[in-house]
Amino acid sequence: MHDVWTLAECHGTTLKDVSYELLAWGRTLADSLRCKLCSVVIGDIPDDEIRLLFTYGADCVYVVTHEQLGWSGHEVYVNILTGLSEEHKPEIFLGAATTSGRSIFPALAVRLRTGLTADCTELSIEEKSGNLLQTRPAIGGNIMATIKTPEHRPQMATVRAKSIRHLPADSSRKGEIVRVPWNPAWQDERVTVLGTRKEHSDQGSIMEAEIVVAGGKGLKKKENFRLIEDLAHALGGQVGATRDAVDRGWKGYPHQVGLSGKTISPRLYMGIGISGAVQHMAGIKTAECIVAINADERANLLRVADFALVGDLFEIVPELLRRLNLALDLALDFVLEDGST
Amino acid sequence: MYIVVPIKQVPETGNVKMDPETGTMIRSGSEAIINPLDLYALETALRIKEQIGGRVTALTMGPPAASKVLKEAIAMGCNDAVHLSDRAFGGADTCATSYTLACAIRKLEHVDLIVTGEHATDGDTGQVGPALAAWLGMAMVTYAAKLLEVEETHITVERLVEEGYQKVRARLPAVLTVVKEIVVPRLPTLAGKKRTLHAEIPVWDAKTLDADPSLLGLKGSPTRVVRIETPKITRNTTIVKVSEEFPASDAVDQLLRFLKDKNLLGHLPGHLPGHLPGQERGRHA
Amino acid sequence: MNMYATVTPALVEELVKILGSHNVLYDKDRMEAYSHDETSIEHYAHMPEVVVTPLNTEQVALIMKLASRERIPVTPRGAGSGLSGGAIPVFGGIVLSLEKMNKVLEIDEKNLTVTAEAGVITNELNEQVKAHGLVFAGYPMSLETCFLGGNIAENAGGGKAVKYGVTGRYVLALEVVTPHGDVVRLGGKVTKDVSGYDLKQLYIGSEGTLGIITKAIIKLIGLPVVKADLLVSFKTAQEAIDVVPVIMTKGIIPTSMEFMDRLSIEMSCVYLNETLPIEGVGAMLLIELDGTDEGQVERDMIAIGDICNEHGAMEVYIAEDRNTQERIWAVRRNIAEALKVYSPVQSLEDIVVPMGSIADVLPELSRLSEKYDITIPCYGHAGDGNLHATLVKNPESNIEHWNIIEPEILRELYAFIVRELGGKISGEHGIGLKRKRYLKELIPAEEYELYRIVKEALDPQMIMNPGKILG
Repeated sequence: MHDVWTLAECHGTTLKDVSYELLAWGRTLADSLRCKLCSVVIGDIPDDEIRLLFTYGADCVYVVTHEQLGWSGHEVYVNILTGLSEEHKPEIFLGAATTSGRSIFPALAVRLRTGLTADCTELSIEEKSGNLLQTRPAIGGNIMATIKTPEHRPQMATVRAKSIRHLPADSSRKGEIVRVPWNPAWQDERVTVLGTRKEHSDQGSIMEAEIVVAGGKGLKKKENFRLIEDLAHALGGQVGATRDAVDRGWKGYPHQVGLSGKTISPRLYMGIGISGAVQHMAGIKTAECIVAINADERANLLRVADFALVGDLFEIVPELLRRLNLALDLALDFVLEDGST
Repeated sequence: MYIVVPIKQVPETGNVKMDPETGTMIRSGSEAIINPLDLYALETALRIKEQIGGRVTALTMGPPAASKVLKEAIAMGCNDAVHLSDRAFGGADTCATSYTLACAIRKLEHVDLIVTGEHATDGDTGQVGPALAAWLGMAMVTYAAKLLEVEETHITVERLVEEGYQKVRARLPAVLTVVKEIVVPRLPTLAGKKRTLHAEIPVWDAKTLDADPSLLGLKGSPTRVVRIETPKITRNTTIVKVSEEFPASDAVDQLLRFLKDKNLLGHLPGHLPGHLPGQERGRHA
Repeated sequence: MNMYATVTPALVEELVKILGSHNVLYDKDRMEAYSHDETSIEHYAHMPEVVVTPLNTEQVALIMKLASRERIPVTPRGAGSGLSGGAIPVFGGIVLSLEKMNKVLEIDEKNLTVTAEAGVITNELNEQVKAHGLVFAGYPMSLETCFLGGNIAENAGGGKAVKYGVTGRYVLALEVVTPHGDVVRLGGKVTKDVSGYDLKQLYIGSEGTLGIITKAIIKLIGLPVVKADLLVSFKTAQEAIDVVPVIMTKGIIPTSMEFMDRLSIEMSCVYLNETLPIEGVGAMLLIELDGTDEGQVERDMIAIGDICNEHGAMEVYIAEDRNTQERIWAVRRNIAEALKVYSPVQSLEDIVVPMGSIADVLPELSRLSEKYDITIPCYGHAGDGNLHATLVKNPESNIEHWNIIEPEILRELYAFIVRELGGKISGEHGIGLKRKRYLKELIPAEEYELYRIVKEALDPQMIMNPGKILG
């Protein structure tokens, strides 16, 4: 039986969290198929960090490094992965549904002449056939479609961040690091990365966030969106926005949740001053827990919420902030006490 | 510069249903429109054309009625359009769709740039752009949020990525996928509309494309939908109303307790202060 | 000199007996929402003494009997989306909100009617009949919030009145509770009816001053399936408005013909973060066409676009898909909200003139604007001759000055509209509280006397929404 592969996602010289989440999915799949779980690392990652992949479930890691990689476009990655896949013929290949995963994998699937399912939230093995069952929200989150790739290999999927927790760390787990020699044919200089402009720290990706606090038209004006930002910050989450709020320029497009923005599945989604247009609701239906705060009892969002708070957001949110910040202060105090005694 | 913009016809609302038997969408009853995100691709292409000259062709694959979105593309300012329509194209997944579009783009010849929207609002896969690049052996630049420089041979853009904005320069020919941030789409004009009245939109079938039949439509689709479920959204809603008898502070109390029970306040200390009198706060300070 | 009794705890108790405690509100915080409508100026607000939310007609009748016995004023209330102060309880007393009588009772496909309670949200009603391929075409622009009963009481108009007319055209029958607490049913599922006085018509647009509308039978029409919009820009507002009568007399009746001057467009665009091309643009017309035949709508669209081009249009934009249509209509719909953000103190006017005189309105607005040194953005349903000229207080000027000039400007404007152009002071928002003194000044004394006689005959105790239209 051929192996289950995941593509670890690098950020500079570290691995992104989603790399370990992919291993959690990969581990169950490899266990039911009784095969090895391998991860591919393309980048300059220190060995200690690579070994963490074993700690979180990998049996084997293929490592490819080259000094040009940091400045290369996706083509090089597609070339490398095509080469490795053709040589080792994985049964299943999983990537993260991030901007790079969603760019590399479709091209890779075409190169390998196989299918690809985007943005999966659940993966399992079909009992008799051993086929990979890939479940993804479709048409926003209105329906869940389960898809398989019966006759082509590898079976490929990109998996949404936070769709699973990584496995508990087991530092006794060992594995094999395979260093793949650089093949000059992989070189591709058509696309060059010239640099990255970091955004303000609160602009992390809503797709990766465990907690998303989103605001809508009920905020009334741009300045008031500060409330959403502060609350997201206090809860350790990211800021989301409805299409209305984005179209009005209250928040940038990366924050847009819904059909023409991002479909998200955080553990907690908090919608504030959001009436709940169908297009927005489609983007949050797979959230684990939904909290809605709205003055209008009839707001759609309240109907799908786990916790619906009917009242004036301009009264409730500041109170919530006051209490959370007080709690944060206390936490800080504990740290200080521990430190001094 | 010769630019091709592949666009898609999608159902208008979020209320689309899917046939649980076949796994295909029930499109009847809701109006079909241009995928809203494709308007940004069209606008980007038209601006590049206006900036350095050239030609823009809109392309779509779909049933005869899909020619409507091509007409709209022409009304916006595209020079011409090509409609790919054949029963053999039906039931295509992103792999077969991108193959079909790639065949057409090859036939159009000397294409410098392909611009696509981020994803379609119905399928939401965002795979067709990068897949086109692979079929055509073109460079790809995805999630473009800002056009920095357009030259005859190169394009420089800022990509919207998780960390912020990444600046990249790509040699043409290339596939560019754009996000909503990049431009505001123009409105179609009456003059443009009138052009569409006389515009002949060629319809290309599998034979015209000289495509490999085994890679088209359902037959050419490696993926199969095996099951469709409607996720349950019936949640056990706790409703709390703020009123004179039940002030916001009490409501917030309940909310915090709820979040704590769900383990969603992980980074905060074990207890949350309620209406804390000063001295209790002082104990920890 | 209050001629009314006050609401005593004993009366509240009686109300609770009729309605149950859930449907009687008397705490200040919750009653605050019932003290005003969408009329912007705060001094119109007035607190009710008690708010009741009856569940059925019988309860409404019992409340009226009680109010009549005690001589307590009753102000009926729909969604509170009115723009003339009609739902404000100026004499305190009882606010009777129909919010809980919100059911669609019957959709009759054989007779193409829908029967619904007064508190149903207009959009909700239309969503339900849409499933049968039908529509209530007389709805106003505020359809997402407004109630059917309020639409009827105000005889609301809206964006589509050019082709489909206003609410009243679709009312076949009404159930009304009289000030004495009697329940009468007027009209029926018939298209013709001369059996006696047309009292139904008297209640349509009566602003809740003659009785409480509790139910209605509404005529439906087939839902038009094809829609197209034109957004036409002109160098000057006058050029834009001059085209309106030309189009209206060419035989194609658009669904809507909306006028927006530059200031309105600019404010709305800023508010929405929209970037319409407005360089050198003085005004725009937003023209909507609908029908069942795609080819026909397309031909009409081109014909109207050509007329605009022949009459000096700078550019004719078109919107044939819902997405683009929604984008341009958002600009029109958000003007009022955008102007409020700019300056909350303003007077949103609703003048209406005969089609042939619409071009004469703008010069008068410019004259007033210059004379009093204020901005008067203007937009509205040009195809009906109905313009929402809005007197906006300069955010820097002081309120005392505004309070002096506002009535002066209105007097001059109304006099011009009524006496020079043969128009009326309100086309769809109503007289309510806001315009009653001007109504009295502008209409012939004999006509005003008839109003008074009707009111006194039907509501001799003057408890039904007192202080509105008359007085």
